Amino acid sequence: MDILYNIFIDPFVQMGNAPDFLLQVLWSGFVGGTLYSLIALGFVLIFKASGVFNFAQGIMVVFAALTLVGLYNLGLPAWLALIATIGVMALLAIGVERVVLRKLVNQPDIILFMATIGLTYFLIGLGESIFGGEPKKMITEELGLPSGSTSFEPFGGLVIIEHLDVAAVVMAIVLVTGLAIFFNKTRIGRALRAVADDHQAALSVGISLNQIWAIVWFAAGIVALATGIMWGAKSDVSFALQIVALKALPVLIIGGFTSIPGAIIGGLIIGFGEKLFEIYWGSLLGSGVEGWFAYVIALIFLLFRPQGLFGEKIIERI
Amino acid sequence: MNMAVAPTGTAASKPAAQEVLLDVKNVSLSFGGVQAIKDVSFNINKGEIRAIIGPNGAGKTSMLNVINGFYHPQVGEITFKGETRSAMRPYVAASQGIARTFQNVALFRGMSTLDNIMSGRTLKMHKNFFWQMLRFGPALDEEIEHRHKVEEIIDFLEIQHIRRTPVGRLPYGLQKRVELARALAMEPELLLLDEPMAGMNLEEKEDMSRFILDVNDQFGTTIALIEHDMGVVMDLSTRVVVLDHGEKIADGTPEEVSANQDVIDAYLGVAH
Repeated sequence: MDILYNIFIDPFVQMGNAPDFLLQVLWSGFVGGTLYSLIALGFVLIFKASGVFNFAQGIMVVFAALTLVGLYNLGLPAWLALIATIGVMALLAIGVERVVLRKLVNQPDIILFMATIGLTYFLIGLGESIFGGEPKKMITEELGLPSGSTSFEPFGGLVIIEHLDVAAVVMAIVLVTGLAIFFNKTRIGRALRAVADDHQAALSVGISLNQIWAIVWFAAGIVALATGIMWGAKSDVSFALQIVALKALPVLIIGGFTSIPGAIIGGLIIGFGEKLFEIYWGSLLGSGVEGWFAYVIALIFLLFRPQGLFGEKIIERI
Repeated sequence: MNMAVAPTGTAASKPAAQEVLLDVKNVSLSFGGVQAIKDVSFNINKGEIRAIIGPNGAGKTSMLNVINGFYHPQVGEITFKGETRSAMRPYVAASQGIARTFQNVALFRGMSTLDNIMSGRTLKMHKNFFWQMLRFGPALDEEIEHRHKVEEIIDFLEIQHIRRTPVGRLPYGLQKRVELARALAMEPELLLLDEPMAGMNLEEKEDMSRFILDVNDQFGTTIALIEHDMGVVMDLSTRVVVLDHGEKIADGTPEEVSANQDVIDAYLGVAH
């Protein structure tokens, strides 16, 4: 009976007893969720345009952040470093298209996937040889990101909201809405889904694969940069960040690999779920729940709804 | 206007003063050691239905791939609308007015019929994507205009009822029709059809034949067609070119070609 009590009653009693603490947990879950969404977004972009999971997205996040910090440390003003980094991501997109993707037109998805793994190791090596392996501090104030915090006192308790988190949420919302509209409502968006489905057919209706791929990788690079700034501000900028990026995998399984709204909802589900579960139920399982919670949820989704919440239906005629 | 180089084949009864839309001259294509096409020349006149026939592996599909830029021939040149080129990218071919369908249906399976056909309008949309995002002003007018055009094609091919269905879910015959619709949405001058009737029953074949004739008739589209059903080829085409083992063995009207001894040998086999 104790166990049942601990699972079904005690956590809710705790929530009721300290509503201010619950609010704090929910807020941090929300912030975590939006950051997951940001990462997942980068994966969705590439997946929509080529039907492959871009293994290199995580390292692109690190690479973008390192470039930004590195350029700033060279003495460039922050705004110039930011613009230059965007330029570098554009060059990277064009380079990837020229050197890697152009040769792989009309090849099976798995080949493209393997190519992204190769790209990952290339970028790790390149990043380390240019910027070195030691963690760096992200420039936040220099970029005009707010610091400090505001505290509220609801229900006689205390809730602290950091301004940086608010900035992260705002940035995520802006990026996500912009990209969602871009890819759903424009000619390029339609072309992109076409490219993901069938290279040959896309070419035959006059879609330039090269152009589409460069655009998408550039968009993914921008998202990587935004993600790198926000994650880098919360921890340091190091190669370990790319592990965090893999959290996007469960987010994508929940939201659907092809859906931008799905990436957001999936991120939020993971963000909220992870935090709430860790705080209120974690002690039953000896804590450390945050590490695996997302993956368990993803497994459950794979069992019952493999295309995710918003993914394109999987259609197979036999 | 670009006059025909006298065709090298067996054809003799062609009217001389036709405008040539596409001229294939001495094209050879090989993959490593395999010669897919050996020194083939033929032309397609404006407004005609030109069939390309031949046994399996004769190089018919390779020929279409050369024409719309998927393959780049090692030797030879192709003149389309008076412009000569040896290598070109498929999307350039598309922008010049060459559309095609594929032997093994190449549709965007996850997208609806409507979206598939709309993708054929890609090259016709010019408005800034920024306006498209906002669904505002000129971009909205443009979208509406393209929808009108697409609806016309949908009516023409009688596929109104599957407008919103993801094409992956459609039966084969209808998928072929959607593919044709997507090609038509490009308003091509030259339409390449790679076995448009493969795997169809008699009724579907009759429908498809009717559509092909109507397209040719009403839109004035020039058509190059690969087909194995000889009855269909004889009924539809103005002229026929026959390939075998990558070489051209005959070229002429359906009657001439079907009487040609080389063609009969190629199809029925010959004792050596």
